[in-house]
Amino acid sequence: MNTNDILLAVLVLIGAPIIGCIASGIDRKITARLQGRVGPPLLQPYYDVKKLLSKDNMVVNPTQNFYVIVYLVFIVLSLLMLVFKQDFLMIIFVYTVASLALIVGGMSTGSPYARVGSSREIMAILSYEPVLILYALAIYLLTGTFKLTAVLDASSPMLMYTPLIFIAMIVVLNIKLKKSPFDYSTSHHGHQELVKGMTTEYGGPGFATIEIAHFYEYVFLTGLIFLFWASNPIIGVLLGIIAYLLIIVIDNITARVYWQWMLKLSWSVLLIISIVNIAFLYVSGVQLA
Amino acid sequence: MIENTVMLLIIVPILFSLLFVALPKSLYKYLAWAFFIIGVALSVNLVLDGTGVVQIGEPNFAMFENIVLILEVLIILFILAVSAKYKNWPTLGLGIVSAALFAYTFTNVPGVEGASLNIDQFSQIMILIVNIVGTAIILFATGYMDEYEEHRHLNRQKIFYFTMSFFLGAMNGLVMADTLGWLFLFWELTTLCSFVLISYNMDEEGINNGFRALALNLVGGIALSIGIILLATKYEISTLSGIGTYAGTDAAAMATVALPVALLCIGGFAKSAQMPFQSWLLGAMVAPTPVSALLHSSTMVNAGVFLVVKLVPAFAGSSLGTAIAVYGSFTFVMCSALALSQRNAKRVLAYSTIANLGLIIASAGIGTPLAVAAAIMLILFHAISKALLFLCTGEIEHTIGSRDIEDMSGLINKAPLLTTLAALGMVSMLLPPFGVLLTKWVSMEAASSNPVVIVFLVLGSALTTVYYAKWLGTILSSSMDKNAVPHKKPETYFPLSFLGLAIVVTSIFVFSIYNYFIKPQVEILLKTAPVISGQAGQFTSEIGAFAYAAIFVVLALAVLIYLATKNMFTPRTSSYYMCGENNLEKDRLMFRNGLCSYEKSSVSNIYLQNTFGESKLTTLGYAISIILIVIALAGGVGL
Amino acid sequence: MSLAKSPWIIHVNVNSCNGCDIEVVACLTPLYDAERFGVLNIGTPKQADIMVVTGSVNYKNVNVLKNIYNQIPDPKVVLAVGACASTGGIFHDCYNVVGGVDQVIPVDAYVPGCCPRPEAILDGVVAALSILENKKKGNIKGKEVKLKGKEVPSNA
Repeated sequence: MNTNDILLAVLVLIGAPIIGCIASGIDRKITARLQGRVGPPLLQPYYDVKKLLSKDNMVVNPTQNFYVIVYLVFIVLSLLMLVFKQDFLMIIFVYTVASLALIVGGMSTGSPYARVGSSREIMAILSYEPVLILYALAIYLLTGTFKLTAVLDASSPMLMYTPLIFIAMIVVLNIKLKKSPFDYSTSHHGHQELVKGMTTEYGGPGFATIEIAHFYEYVFLTGLIFLFWASNPIIGVLLGIIAYLLIIVIDNITARVYWQWMLKLSWSVLLIISIVNIAFLYVSGVQLA
Repeated sequence: MIENTVMLLIIVPILFSLLFVALPKSLYKYLAWAFFIIGVALSVNLVLDGTGVVQIGEPNFAMFENIVLILEVLIILFILAVSAKYKNWPTLGLGIVSAALFAYTFTNVPGVEGASLNIDQFSQIMILIVNIVGTAIILFATGYMDEYEEHRHLNRQKIFYFTMSFFLGAMNGLVMADTLGWLFLFWELTTLCSFVLISYNMDEEGINNGFRALALNLVGGIALSIGIILLATKYEISTLSGIGTYAGTDAAAMATVALPVALLCIGGFAKSAQMPFQSWLLGAMVAPTPVSALLHSSTMVNAGVFLVVKLVPAFAGSSLGTAIAVYGSFTFVMCSALALSQRNAKRVLAYSTIANLGLIIASAGIGTPLAVAAAIMLILFHAISKALLFLCTGEIEHTIGSRDIEDMSGLINKAPLLTTLAALGMVSMLLPPFGVLLTKWVSMEAASSNPVVIVFLVLGSALTTVYYAKWLGTILSSSMDKNAVPHKKPETYFPLSFLGLAIVVTSIFVFSIYNYFIKPQVEILLKTAPVISGQAGQFTSEIGAFAYAAIFVVLALAVLIYLATKNMFTPRTSSYYMCGENNLEKDRLMFRNGLCSYEKSSVSNIYLQNTFGESKLTTLGYAISIILIVIALAGGVGL
Repeated sequence: MSLAKSPWIIHVNVNSCNGCDIEVVACLTPLYDAERFGVLNIGTPKQADIMVVTGSVNYKNVNVLKNIYNQIPDPKVVLAVGACASTGGIFHDCYNVVGGVDQVIPVDAYVPGCCPRPEAILDGVVAALSILENKKKGNIKGKEVKLKGKEVPSNA
């Protein structure tokens, strides 16, 4: 741990929520424009969080806020591990802790809406977790290590060898960001099915924590896309932005599906194409130079 | 004095089993405490004594050998007698085959000059598990069995404690024995104890399931004894370590002993209830919870994987090893999928146990130093976590009167300490920084060179997360009614808290455990140790790093932030949002219907019965696992 | 100004004829676009700031109204939209009607009309914002409204 590392960590801790906040604002702006509206100001997510922090801390049971704090700190930890090029498989497991904390947080309120939302989110884990780990496996096969150092130091982009996993990851991004057509556990905006799903019983500071964690999560998830073209950071960032914009567009042009449908999509199409990609990597034995 | 400790480890449990028979019920509590303390002391003492081989030569050997012979005859006679009494013909048939094999061994196989007990690091770990977790479970039983028997109008505690303690002695013998003949004796003794304990209720269901366990374990035992006979007659190998020495890491020697090794492994699979044999472990769930915790999760089923891991030098890197790895990972994914569809908590745990044992076997089959280290570590961590989870399930059942996961919602309000411990057990099974996940991570990294195995592990791992997450969320969900009153007995809550503490402590000191026990053991088995270093709170192998210390720090940070912010922002509590239709007088989880009367809302988890139900998957699992075993055997013969 | 920039509303329909509801929803459409002001129509009272009530309160839903009011964290304002919510409207002397919303919970702003135009509703929301800010500054808490138990007539 030298000074540079600490500086980088502080930069990530402060910078990531700002980027995430603006990304969320862009999302709402684009959504509004696609619907022919003017839309809120770009910094609306920031105003929302600020407002939520000034409200009363109303809870069903006091422990429910513990889980969202776990959610926040583990998202931050997984982002930091990504930035510090740690073991990718490990990052996914840490990220799973965060996802589970939110699910358990929703369940812990005991509200029927939150519990239905959480059950559906558990099914979402079933659909995206294998793809994420296969992505980690692809990194291992290409570089011979699960550590991200090799991917980030490589001179050629990973996307060349993992196009199918990239497609699968776009869908995973869609599921993880809880965007339509996979926004059935909880949704942003004014969609009110299941009230607010997992987050029904969260208000005020507790909900603000979830929102802040979402800002970090935006950066983390686009970071996963960035890895596909990490050899050239500019193209990598562009790739992340394009993926994010694509998700917003998909969000606006699709209707919600059943969770069963998502499970079928994931275990038939996404898993198969990921495994085909992995099989190709095994057979060809290519290495990321 | 390692010899004394070894003898004591076998004699003391048997002594205690006799004490349980001799003394009245009112003293059981004190006996169990004494047993726990002595068990801890003896096992720690064994670890402090270090490793070594205890040779038993003349003149004592002849006496011991006669005892072994008599016990084996008695076992076979007992099996024949009970199966004839209950007219269970398949078991009788298997018993007759066993008897024939025994007779063949007695007449045709050359006798050995001496026996040996081999105490290596792996045996030490197993001894620690058996004597600390095992006696803690017996302690738990003293606070549990009275109420259990009261519900079922039974009075068989003498035989219960006798068998449980006797089992610990047999298990101690099993993990230390090096001579294959003795190993086989202890092996059959544990099978027998398991049969007695499963049919403890003496109702039709219990006896049927007991016989199923007996029959399937006899199949395993027959495979085991054929393997032993082949080894003794063809290769003149009579010890477990001898197989490793014979095969070495030499591919040609491995190929020659592949068939007997495969047979021994099948014995191990049956004991560990792997896929075609899994029904006995599920049936065993009718037994009282301490039995499930002791035999069917943390100790006896570990005997199977113990044997398989010990045989690693005989198949590491060979095609047999690959077949075993694929087979184990297949069981892992299949049983994880089956666990997803279960509502009965004990069945979930049973499937989860089988799945994790499958993971251990898969890791052993991969056979790289890293994978073998993962297998041994998983045995340790899984035993502690699973024992805690089983005991918690038993206590939950006594608290709320049900073992259905859906009935457990709101448990956190009814029994906070119990729920916290159960949640700790579940979290330790599926999330970092706890040991089980760490070993899962190690085995995944080790398996990444085998495409089939890794894909199975990935799917199984996702399924595992899902079925534990459902259960975890359900017990932690709050409700407003607090009807159930937890019975807080020190005998039940002490073992639970002790095991919970053990999970945390072993997870924090995972690297010390690795360094002290696992590294030397892998060196013994494979002549090379995995390249793992443990600096800066990281578990670093050549292909990755697991920063468990960072996660502990972050977890502590989360608790601190929570405590610090708990009273900020004007905290207030209110009831759930129920569209405003809350019934504030009674249970708040009620909606009002059109006639102004209240109806309870019920939410249940998703079980995917139509996709992962037992009726859908079990047959498929049988078919594929049998094919895989046949492939392993065929590979063994060299076809 | 943190509250005024992001007013999230919860829309409660107590016995409304749906006329006002349609107008409230119309506020969110591209033509009026209430989200310009950061207004979100949120489903749960736990996250809401402004409670928009339409319709006259009757005996069956008086407890519903109180429950939802109690579940909104402070600071909060109540906006009665439409003639019925303000005074009871044409239903004021029906056998089952309690009256306007202010008979049950404290109301901060009224939007008259049957139905009020969306512009009027937006005007009401904007008016509510300054009340919201004042409540935050003065630390004024909404009182917990007690439920009286069986508000439902015994023959129901």
